[in-house]
Amino acid sequence: MIMFKQLSKYYPTKQGRRYIFKDVNLSLPMDKSIGVLGPNGAGKSTLIKILGGADYPSKGKVTSPLKVSWPLGLRGGLQGSMSGRENVRFVARIHGFTDTKMVEEKVSDFAEIGIYFDEPVKTYSSGMRARVAFGLTMAFDFDFDVLLVDELTAVGDTNFKKKSEKVLKNKYENTKVIMVNHSANELKKYCQAGLLIKDQNLHYFDELDHALQEYQSCYVTH
Amino acid sequence: MPSFSELTHAAPSRNAFKIMCDTVHALLMREVKARFGSSKLGYFWAVAEPIAQAAVLGLLFTLIGRTSLANVPVVLFLFTGILPFKLFSKLLPQLSLGIASNKALFAYRQVAPIDPVITRLVIEIATYAIVYMVIMAVLAWLGFDVVPDQLLPFFMANGLLIIISFGLGLALCAAVQQWDDTPKLLSMVTTPMFYVSGVFFAATMIPAQYWYLLNWNPIFHIIELSRDAYFESYTTPVGDWQYVTLFALGSLFLGLGLYRINRVRFSA
Repeated sequence: MIMFKQLSKYYPTKQGRRYIFKDVNLSLPMDKSIGVLGPNGAGKSTLIKILGGADYPSKGKVTSPLKVSWPLGLRGGLQGSMSGRENVRFVARIHGFTDTKMVEEKVSDFAEIGIYFDEPVKTYSSGMRARVAFGLTMAFDFDFDVLLVDELTAVGDTNFKKKSEKVLKNKYENTKVIMVNHSANELKKYCQAGLLIKDQNLHYFDELDHALQEYQSCYVTH
Repeated sequence: MPSFSELTHAAPSRNAFKIMCDTVHALLMREVKARFGSSKLGYFWAVAEPIAQAAVLGLLFTLIGRTSLANVPVVLFLFTGILPFKLFSKLLPQLSLGIASNKALFAYRQVAPIDPVITRLVIEIATYAIVYMVIMAVLAWLGFDVVPDQLLPFFMANGLLIIISFGLGLALCAAVQQWDDTPKLLSMVTTPMFYVSGVFFAATMIPAQYWYLLNWNPIFHIIELSRDAYFESYTTPVGDWQYVTLFALGSLFLGLGLYRINRVRFSA
């Protein structure tokens, strides 16, 4: 269960405050994996970031007794000037792990990017970034209850997609996913429920199909 | 501040202070590597730069026939001014960019915007202490009496210098967030500061009626006070503990206040 209490998020722009969310009150039952739907700029990534503690709400709060991951995405999380290995070491350290060697090897094995693992992340392709970012969560035994995934599986090649799908389904048997993805097929693969962003509010659907239908009728022009 | 206390990772359970220590440690390892690891000469420059500066100024004073300034050997006099000023003029740009250059890492909830600022403060203070001791050890070997006359006021002056730099650095973080040109403006201010902070002169060397031109400058006060503590033969006529302490508290208040106001904006 993730509770939103009077959550508002706005960004100051030249035309004044632009609200992404306004007074959202919602309880997300986390018994199913959830696909987040909304057009570009609706606030999907912002939502993931707030859930992951990478951004703060302007007002209100989000609480949960569950263990929620950081936002796994292409932007943020990995620092460009550091190598993949240094990024992994950093994440291990801030989580209180003193032996980082083991973690490094695990991520390296998962990512399979060879010598690039010791090159700066800014030289990576987006697929390679995704491999390292995803490998990070595989390497630790965090036992996340909720994994936040922002457009990460979209950029991988067939091998990586297969691999991450397997991992998501096996290792994270008890882990639910909150996922942003523009491909309905991808979402259907992982998620059973849907969360639609509409009118600066969140609408939860028990069935992903219902959410997709609603999304079609609201946003897609025929 | 919205509460995320219940959204935690399953890593070893730690209290807030332990998390902060782990984060600062992690940042420390990568900052040190970035600063000194890329070129093996990194550590060398940290010591060589103040020595080169002192050498140039020392040469000038020797050329005009001075062997002591304010009853203190020229070399010692210069280092006790150059080193604290170096700390100040390095801390401000370093701290002010601490938040802006680590934004990618705020994706992890463990990393608060103030953590990289604290990290950089620790690195600069450690470097300062080591460089100070290395230089003084060399001077002792050359036969100078390098042991500070009064240790406590000497450390107090340095402590106040650090508090001022931390407060102003944190305030500058907020300024950097608002205006991209802040670093340029900052260097326009700190460069002339070198000439009005008593680095290569003491208050006793200028006529009393002109003291008011420098009196406003807390760094001038700090260098005066630290020389007063360092050398038995030098007594500062202007150094004012009260003024420096108030200035330090003021800048700390300003820095923490601006951090508090801007903390949400920092992570975006």
